[in-house]
Amino acid sequence: MTQWDLVRELATMQDRMNRIWGNVYDRGREDVSGAGAWLPAVDIYETGEKEIVLKAELPGLKREDIDLTVENNTLTIRGLRHRDDGVADGQYHRSERVYGACSRSFTLPNTVDPSRVKAEYRDGVLAVRLPLREEAKPRQIAVDVD
Amino acid sequence: MTLVRWNPVRELASMEVDKLNSMFSDFYGGIDRAWVPAVDVYENNDHEFVLKAELPEMKREDISITFDNGVLTLRGERNAELETTRENYHRIERQHGTFTRSFTLPATVDAARIHASYKDGVLTVRVPQLEEAKPKQIEIKE
Repeated sequence: MTQWDLVRELATMQDRMNRIWGNVYDRGREDVSGAGAWLPAVDIYETGEKEIVLKAELPGLKREDIDLTVENNTLTIRGLRHRDDGVADGQYHRSERVYGACSRSFTLPNTVDPSRVKAEYRDGVLAVRLPLREEAKPRQIAVDVD
Repeated sequence: MTLVRWNPVRELASMEVDKLNSMFSDFYGGIDRAWVPAVDVYENNDHEFVLKAELPEMKREDISITFDNGVLTLRGERNAELETTRENYHRIERQHGTFTRSFTLPATVDAARIHASYKDGVLTVRVPQLEEAKPKQIEIKE
């Protein structure tokens, strides 16, 4: 049985190349590292409501098999996809989906408030909302001149 | 004669990086490019064909399933509006736009009883087979 994982191969290759060429060609601010059998595809965008939204494709996972952590400004998504119970390899006519563990990490910019990170899993997509800190308002300091 | 120092880093940098990057983005980051959802097909213990397609974040009404002349076709479209908001994106790896995938099924399928469900971003199509197509035990007589 062969797995069709050309997309993953290419994604890994591009991440590697971006690391070789450094930040010049990688316009994103976030670092990427992945481990495990597959790499979920991720979109990252900013909304008008002062937040960054990260959406990761994790179709067919159970909520309890998704793990999201923020530690030292690094956001890590881990997941585990199981094959359907009671189906032997010989019963497959086609197997393109990838099973097993996945993991991806992203470095958060300092402007994100890690204590207010929220996540939701719906229709196979994990949406992580990363609110930006309220920027300290500029203060005016009056200085007495003798 | 002037000697020019060979600078491999510069050579690398001057390689056609843009061409490479556009090749990658054509492949999996393109907006209007066709999208190929991963599909598994297996035959379960009730001799139904079970087809599972990864279609995360789709609306049910944007997925169409047809069965015609022995060919099961899945079609769909996702996030066509992404184009207009693209400048706010830091990273686009997910495939957006339209997809079509077709699968030829054996003549023994019972088209009237095909049914589909969508859960957690996975479309499951169950295709039962006709009663006479199911395996039979044949008794050996003397």
